[in-house]
Parts: sequence; C-alpha cells; structure tokens
Amino acid sequence: MNPFEPRIITFLCNWCSYVAADAAGVSRLSQKTNTRAVRVFCSGMVDPNYVIKAFAQGADGVLVAGCHPGDCHYIAGNIKALRRSFLLRKLLEELGVDEKRFRLEWIAASEPHKYAKVVNEMSEQIRALGPFSPGCVRD
Amino acid sequence: MEAKKVAVYAATGCRACENAILDISFQVNSLDRFARFEFWPYLLGSRLEDLEKPGDIDVTFFTGAISTECDEEAARRLREKSKILVAFGACAAFGGLPGLVNLQQAKKAPEGCEDGTPELPGLRRRVATLHQIVPVDYFVPGCSPPQNYTWTIMQSLVCQSGAAARMSFAASRLPRRIARSVLSGVLPPSGSVFAGEKAVCASCGRMKQEKLFASLNRIHRIEPDPLRCLLEQGLLCQGLATREGCGGLCTGAGLPCRGCFGKAQDIYDAGAKMVSAVSSTFDTTEAAEMQKIAEAFVDLAGTFYRYTAPAQCALLQTPESKRPADEDFEAAGGACNG
Amino acid sequence: MSTINIGPLRYLEEPSQISIGQNGEGLRSFYQVTAPRDIAAMCKGRPAEELPRILTILSPSHHIASAKALDNLFGIRIPPAAENIRKALGETLTLIHHARKLLFLLQSSTNPPGTRENLRIAVPSSQRRTVDEIMKGIAAFQEAAYILGGRYPHPVTVVAGGVSRPIKEVHKRRLQEIARTCLPYALRLRDIFSETVIGNGWYKPINISFRPVASITSGETENEVVATDKTGAEAARFAPEKVLDTLEILSEPWTYLPFVHEKGKTWEGPLSDKTEGLFFVGPLARLNRATPLAAPPAEAERQRMIGCLGAPPHFSPLAGYWSILVELIASAEKCETLYSEENLSGTETRVVATGSGRRGLAAFEAPEGFVCHRYEVDQRGLVEDVTILDAASENNGLRSFLTQKIAEEAFAAGQPWDQAKKTIELSLVPF
Repeated sequence: MNPFEPRIITFLCNWCSYVAADAAGVSRLSQKTNTRAVRVFCSGMVDPNYVIKAFAQGADGVLVAGCHPGDCHYIAGNIKALRRSFLLRKLLEELGVDEKRFRLEWIAASEPHKYAKVVNEMSEQIRALGPFSPGCVRD
Repeated sequence: MEAKKVAVYAATGCRACENAILDISFQVNSLDRFARFEFWPYLLGSRLEDLEKPGDIDVTFFTGAISTECDEEAARRLREKSKILVAFGACAAFGGLPGLVNLQQAKKAPEGCEDGTPELPGLRRRVATLHQIVPVDYFVPGCSPPQNYTWTIMQSLVCQSGAAARMSFAASRLPRRIARSVLSGVLPPSGSVFAGEKAVCASCGRMKQEKLFASLNRIHRIEPDPLRCLLEQGLLCQGLATREGCGGLCTGAGLPCRGCFGKAQDIYDAGAKMVSAVSSTFDTTEAAEMQKIAEAFVDLAGTFYRYTAPAQCALLQTPESKRPADEDFEAAGGACNG
Repeated sequence: MSTINIGPLRYLEEPSQISIGQNGEGLRSFYQVTAPRDIAAMCKGRPAEELPRILTILSPSHHIASAKALDNLFGIRIPPAAENIRKALGETLTLIHHARKLLFLLQSSTNPPGTRENLRIAVPSSQRRTVDEIMKGIAAFQEAAYILGGRYPHPVTVVAGGVSRPIKEVHKRRLQEIARTCLPYALRLRDIFSETVIGNGWYKPINISFRPVASITSGETENEVVATDKTGAEAARFAPEKVLDTLEILSEPWTYLPFVHEKGKTWEGPLSDKTEGLFFVGPLARLNRATPLAAPPAEAERQRMIGCLGAPPHFSPLAGYWSILVELIASAEKCETLYSEENLSGTETRVVATGSGRRGLAAFEAPEGFVCHRYEVDQRGLVEDVTILDAASENNGLRSFLTQKIAEEAFAAGQPWDQAKKTIELSLVPF
C-alpha cells in the first residue's frame, strides 16, 4: 500500500461549496479524507498569497471552490477568482507546482455529488504525483 | 571618539556594493575620523585567517550572495567576530541576481581537479542569503544601495550621529522608528531594514488612472507615456510589491521596477501579490479572453523574484534553509517547515 | 610538492587568489578566480529585453553592449539622439573605470613605503590629498553617469531601440558644468602620474616586460573587429558576427573564470607558457595599434609614452597604466563635446521594435576591453542561449602567464611572497 496521503487544502465559499461539502457529508457520499477545509466568504477573497502559502507550508494540493459564474453572493467575486487563476497557475508551474495540484471549481450548494467527485479525483491525481516539496524546481 | 573598526567582505556578486562604500568614504571626509577599515579583501588584501587576531570588529558590511563553501565560512567567521553584521546590498539581503540560479535545477559542483592543480571553494547546491546562514543585524537593500542609505547606515552604525549635520537628509526617507534612533545616535532596532516601509508606488511620480490591462506590453515594444503609471500601460512593473526607498529611480527613468529592494513590509510573497494586482486589472469577464491575456506573460518567476529568489520566494524556501527570526522575514521563514 | 596560497588579490574586479606549487626547482602558479559567476544560468529563460539590466552585473558597460545586441536582434536602427546619449554614457564609464584603476595604482602601499598599520583605507596620509582629488573627480563622473544612465553603477536607461528617456534641461546644464572639469582633471592626473609614478620611480616594480601577445579591438567603425598580431600589425579584420566563430571558450576546473582563445589547438592552455593563439584586450591593446589620437593633449601624452617606452607595441603593466592615462585624457576631451547642449538636446530617443529576430549579436569596445554578446531567443522572446565574451575572461590567459612570470622571478630572486603578491596585484589591474 502507498503510505503517502496527500494533504489538500480546500478553500470553500460559504454560500455554495461549503454547503455542498456539508451536504456531501450528510448524504454519506464516499469521499477521500485528504482535504482540510477552510471556509471563506467568497472564492474572490482567496488571494494568491493564500494558495502559495498553503503550498509553501506543505500542502500537496489546493482546491478553490466557489459559486457558478453569475451566482456569486457578492455579484462578481468568483470572476475575480477566475481572473487570478490563470496567472497564478502559470507562476505555480514555473516554480515547479504541477498544474493538477491547483484547481478552481464551481460547485453550487446543490451539487454535493460534484464536490465529492472533484475531491476524489484530485486526491487520486495527487497521490499519483507524490508529495510536493517546496524548493524543487522542474527543469 | 575612537574610530570604529569596520570590515567589508564580498561573497558572490559584483564589486558595485564595495565600490559604493569606497566612494562614500572619500566623498565624505568626516567618515575618516570615525571608521578604521580593518578587514577588506578588495582593498587591503585581508585573508580570513586575519580574523583570528584578537579584538572584535565593530561593524561588518557583508556584500554578495552565499554560493560557495568559502562564502559560507566567511559569513560564520565574520558573524563570530563582529558586534554588528550588516547584509549590504540585494545579493547579501535577498540573494540578488546570483540567486536567479535557484530558479533552475541545482547544478553539480565542478568535477575534481587533476593532480597538481589547486582546488576551488566548492559550490553550494543552492545560492543562499547571508541571513539563511547566520543571524544578521541590519539589512540595506538595493542593487546597489543608493548613496543616501549607504551614508545613513555609515552614519548610524559607525558614526552614531557624531556627524550630525548631514543626518536629516539621510533620515528623511527612513521609517520613523529607524530615523529616530539614527538621529539620536542609538542603534536602530535589530533587524531594521534601511529603506522605506511602503511600496515603491508611494514615491513614484507617475499618475495612476483607471486601471486597465488590455494586454501585456514589453518595454521594447512600446514607448511608454512619460507621465502615466507603467503598470497601467501594460508593462510588468513591480513597484507595488517592492519596498520603497530608491525614490522611484527606475520608473522615473521610464523603466519598470524589478524589485531590487525586496518585497514591501506587509507582503507575504511578492509574486503572489503581483499576480493578484496584475490580474485584477484584466479588462474582461470572459474566461477565454483572460486566458488569452495571461498567455502573453512570460517568465513570471524570473521577473517577480528577480533579486529575491533565495530569500523571499515562498515556494523556493528549501527545507534545509534556516528559519529567519526577525519579523520582517518571519513570513518567508514560516514557509520553511515543509 | 608544497603548495602555498597567496591572496585574496586586491583591486581586481573578480575575487581571486594565487596558488603556487613548488616542486624541486620548478614552480607552477595558478591565477584562480574564486567566486562563480554563472551568467548563462542567470540569463536563460529571461525575456531578452531584460538582459541589459541583468548583465550590468559584469560591468556597467555590458549594459550598453547588451542593448546593442538587442538592437540587432530586433533589427532596429536607433535615432541619433539615443546614439549620442549612449556614447556620452560610454565615455563617462571610461572616465570612471580608468580613474579608478589609476587610483588603485596610486594608493597601493607597494609604491610609497607604508605599512598596513598606518593605513586607513590603504592610503598613507601623505597620499590622502591626491587620492581625495581623484575620488572627487570620480564622484563628479558618477553624477554624470546617474544623469545619463539613470542609476550608477548599474545603469538602466539604455534599452533596445535607444535610450528610455531624453535628458532634462536641468541635467544638461549640470553635465556642462561637469564637462568643464573633465579635461583639467585628466591633465591633473597626468601630472600626478608623471610626478609620482615616473618621477619618483614607482614604476619600477611594474615595469615588467612580458612576451608579445596578439590582441583584439574594435575597428574604426562598429562593424569591424581588428585582430592584431604580436608585432602590433593588423592581422585580420572581420565582421562582429565572425568573432565567436574565431574564438573559443575554455573552462578549467581550478578557476571559475573561463579562458578565451583563438579557435584551434594552437594555444596549449593556461599552464603552458606559449602565447600562440592567445590574445588580450583593453586600453593597452587599443593603443598598441599605434593609431594617432585626435585629441592633441592625449596624442602628446601618447608621444611621451612612446618617447619613454619606445615604439608600440608595448607589453608591460606600466604601459598598461600609461595607456589608461592616455585614454583618460582622450575621453575627457571627448566628453567636452559629448556633454554639450547640441549633442544631448534631441528628444527622439527611442524606436519601438516591430520585428522579432531569433539571434542578436553585438561587439562593443568597453573601457575594460573588447566585449561581445550573442543571444539566441525563442519565438516568445525568451533567451535560450547566451554567449558573452567579457574582458576578464579574454585577459585570463594573459593574467595567468603574467602571474607565472612574476612568481618565477620572485622565486629566483628569493623575494618574499608578500612582495611578489603586491607586484602581481598591481600588474594585473590594467588588464
């Protein structure tokens, strides 16, 4: 058996994804237990600093989940998150973070199945990639 | 007042910082009364063994990044010997340009020498900053540090306000608590950075208007408007994530800031800050368009961490590097326990 | 075999030391540069337009050389106003560079008898006034470099396609003030030189003739490179593009600074005492071409040098210093016109690049010697490969055999190594 258990930090929007995660638990959907959830008020407040700090402090993956575009409680917070994600992913890649380790997903409150699927998928992908260690740059 | 014993040492870098100290010592005659240069390989040919002589050194200005075993040993010996150790210049403080090497795969040290040829100091796997090897008392950022800060730190550590007439000039741009101690002749708090507190934008004279980033521009492709903010004109200017103190030298000359003063006080990671600032000004709400704008960007890491890769790029903090202690480097230090 | 290690050497741009191995009667010295400078690793992957700012780490003049290579990369012809500012900056850098080397000669404690104990910044008090005088000049030229280059010692304003901004009125006036001081300053240095170095006999320890070496310099126009043979006669003239085809870079495991030599197996490496295939660059290489100088005071000084040392080519550290002095006078004279209102008043200082090439190359006659940059970039403008010839690695071979010669002579004469070290230091500074 592979002893490596990935640590995935999930930043979940209070108004949708966190509810979905909650519902996924209540409905006893089978999920991997590699996530550490951080409830935030909007995916738009997840500054790139948070993501980088998570990786720098030993996370193997980061998931940012927010409301579907158009459904943001604060009108356009999720669009802000989307805007940042492109450059952030680029910077992370240059610094040796595989693109599979960072995900931005839209998960509505009514989609616990999607939540469980994303978490399981990510957990498997990162398990395959192995642990992330800061300071290792790809060539 | 007895002249202070001063040491200057250069590790890996160039001679610019040393020349800055050399120049200032002649330009300001009064320094001669206060400083006695005891150890300076560049001008005195001093050897590390000279440090075995009895007697402490009052202030050591250490320039250059740590990239060889010899640099490391010099850092340790000078720390042991000196009452005050100053990381002078971007290389010593954050790794500087030699630190860019850390963005690539670690290099192998040169192979063993043939018989009869002498050995070279071995290369470290990664370029480190002075602070990652030994505790540092003060930091003077800049590549190379501007003359006013060179003079300020000389004044405050070597002369201890003995030459008061020129103090106000030097103190004017420093954070208040450092300036106050400089003016009153007591040592500034340990860990002080001899530069401003805010970001370069605070002293850049360019006008900021509506922020729109329709597409990335590169400096050879446009002639920027001399009055408007460079970032708004699509140039990747790092002023907003960089510590102030230079007075906006590069932006004043029409060139984007590259962050030789290191990150500004309250920023965790300059690259993340820049990603956030730059992408929030993308002039679109469509994912496809955003993707298109983002694709034009090249070499983000090499630009955002141009002078600071070894010390301030949170993701490059190698687990073996030591945890920096002072508050300013705490954030980066937190990144070490992987 | 016993090995002794003398160093670090003073006054050299590169932290360096000498290792001397003694084996019976034989003696082998190594000029070692002890700090790595991995330029290629710093540049690869960076956007090409950033290189002028990165490469100033080699020396300020590489800033200009790099921008020239970018002009060629993007296929830009720069406007005359930009050319003028670049030239003025180049001459300013020459003034600073040359004045600093003369300063090192004059403040070195080998010259006037002085001990380490009474030195403050390695200057005995009797020398202080002279040294202060030189530094005052350097300070003024640095101010000029600040105005022209935006920063010193790492200038920023020279960019691909010209210069990032025109010169302000207030700065032009200041430059003219500085211009007026240039020539008197250079002439004063000449007087100090002839009084102390020549008159007081300080030149003796550095009057070491070495074996003739070929040299490389820029031609009269920018598009020519001149190779001069050992007799000082012109051997070949070729376009800058050919430079890297004719030269080869050699790395040795015992020094961090590579050696540059002519391609082919003629040169047997730094451990041989043969100079076939070796060349040097710098002020002495330029003066060895024996072209009369345009400026009368500089030409007069050159004639005086010829009067003292004989007809060129010269091969000695003393001639190296003397040629630095001659060039300093010539540069000072040039600065009077380069800093003038008419010369700097153009406002069109930039041409925007429209093309995008894959390879850029430029040769440039920097104050410290002939330098050459070549970049290969990908279609996004990211640097894939850089080849840089800098004066230090081009003169590395010369430095090595000069060190060996001085060490051998010192050993034969039973001189203490401390004395030999001083001679070596002062002999390497002009190259």
